[in-house]
Amino acid sequence: MGFDYNSLLAFIIFGVTIGVVYGIVALGISLIYSGLDIVHFAHGEMYMFGAFFGLVLAHNVGVPYPIALIGAMVLTALLGMAVERVFYRRLTRAGGGYTVAGMGMIICGFGMSVALVNVAYFIWGAEAEPFRANLDYIPRLSFPGDIEVPESYVLTAIISVALMAALHYFLRHTKTGLAVRAVAHNKDIAYLMGINVPLMISLIFGLACGLAAAAGVLIGPMQSVQVEMGYLMLMKAFAAAVVGGFGSLPGAILGGIMVGVFENLGAAYISPSHKDIYAFLLLILVLMFKPSGLLGVEAKVKA
Amino acid sequence: MLQINDVHAGYGNLKILRGVNMQVPTGGIVTLLGGNGTGKSTLLKAVSGLIPLMEGEVLFDGVSISKMKPHERMRLGLVQVTQAKEAYPAMTVEENLVLGAYTRRDRAGILADLERVYEFFPVLRERRKQLSGTLSGGEVQMLVIGRGLMAKPKMLMLDEPSAALAPKVVLEIFANINRIAKTGVTILVVEQNVRMALILAQYGYIIRDGVIMIEGEAKKLISDPAVKESFLGGSVANTAKALRN
Ligand SMILES: Nc1ncnc2c1ncn2[C@@H]1O[C@H](COP(=O)(O)OP(=O)(O)O)[C@@H](O)[C@H]1O
Ligand SMILES: [Mg+2]
Repeated sequence: MGFDYNSLLAFIIFGVTIGVVYGIVALGISLIYSGLDIVHFAHGEMYMFGAFFGLVLAHNVGVPYPIALIGAMVLTALLGMAVERVFYRRLTRAGGGYTVAGMGMIICGFGMSVALVNVAYFIWGAEAEPFRANLDYIPRLSFPGDIEVPESYVLTAIISVALMAALHYFLRHTKTGLAVRAVAHNKDIAYLMGINVPLMISLIFGLACGLAAAAGVLIGPMQSVQVEMGYLMLMKAFAAAVVGGFGSLPGAILGGIMVGVFENLGAAYISPSHKDIYAFLLLILVLMFKPSGLLGVEAKVKA
Repeated sequence: MLQINDVHAGYGNLKILRGVNMQVPTGGIVTLLGGNGTGKSTLLKAVSGLIPLMEGEVLFDGVSISKMKPHERMRLGLVQVTQAKEAYPAMTVEENLVLGAYTRRDRAGILADLERVYEFFPVLRERRKQLSGTLSGGEVQMLVIGRGLMAKPKMLMLDEPSAALAPKVVLEIFANINRIAKTGVTILVVEQNVRMALILAQYGYIIRDGVIMIEGEAKKLISDPAVKESFLGGSVANTAKALRN
């Protein structure tokens, strides 16, 4: 039996596409971590809320899919900013200003995750809802060897890359982006340079949650939308962030793509029924050989 | 310009400053001296707003700033350079300097001030495209002072600019602080290098255990036996001569 290179290529293409979505969720987790020194355990729920917001906008309100995507990003960004403002910031204050001492934030993040799932359950119920999006205007991609990439995957790849490029441009080439980077590195000094640090922290949170929402709306048409969908995404995005190097933005994307490809290949060549464990297998492998992650710097040292 | 009235402040429940009174008049240089851990940096943080006041009041240009956030105080022209000598290591020297002008919109003015900083510290011009993480300790100190200047301060607060630097570099930095003051920027400089600071400044305060112990004109403090006893040594005249060059 000969090895089928075409199907290998197909698995890789699908893996990369799903991987960039893990990547944009991981990007948010890394952004929050580098900006606020907290690991946001309720980030999967931002992804889930984003998917539902998109679904409601597309189905109930009836706006076109791209508008639903943008609307979901904005609404989720606002939700995230509100959660940070009302809940997390109290904890950070107790930690001497902006960072959180010890376990408090971890517990708060998990609690927020459970609370948000229940709120969503209360609003939308437990059933998985299909996300029907009219994507006819997006071309299917055909690769040599009869590989057809459906519209939703093409769209996902395009939008994810566009979002990453936009974030990169924002952080590297705008004044506000410079301020965000300054806040991420040292809040006291950023403050002393006249940067409105609390506002930047809200912005970081909003951006990160908006990215998660985009992932939710992009994954929606491929799978379905369900209140518990956040857990698995959090786990994979977390794995992606660690594999790439926690806190590193390019690392988050690289990690996402690696997780996506690795799990697709695992499902294809080892066993499809264990699809979700391959991400962690990869995580363990990377941690064994490079504990700081592929593009990570050694553990962040704070003055 | 700056008036500190009965300021109490600290960290959490820990009170470090126990009723500090100080005044910095417009123009010129005032120095705050004291040993390690006596509360000098804490006072600067309380003035710039990085830690809240427990009691007392801080006035800048006659206006109470006690309740303002750090970025609001900075926008009034009260700029602090921290002791940590922290530049943003992943940004170039020039990016760091431009970041100092974050609150300003006058492009021409920013470019002119950039030029001015490069005149004060020519080594920064040489290194402008270099990541600031690659600079030496003295160069970073010049960079953070330069970055403070880019904000167009009315008053600049410097926290131990001489710490951990070679004497020759210290001299260069102090000479530049003097030049900066001559351009009309009021300066409050915190120091442990008592001799140099008292030569540089017109007025001095000495803090111990969170209260001001001694204050007076710098000239008098240099020869004050109480100050001398605790701090001074070596030849004042030599340093004074070198500084004037
Ligand atoms: N962030 C902090 N939290 C708690 N205590 C602090 C903190 N920073 C400084 N201290 C304490 O406050 C006292 C004064 O410190 P500081 O103002 O930094 O002294 P210095 O005069 O050397 O600048 C010291 O006893 C120090 O241990
Ligand atoms: Mg100090």
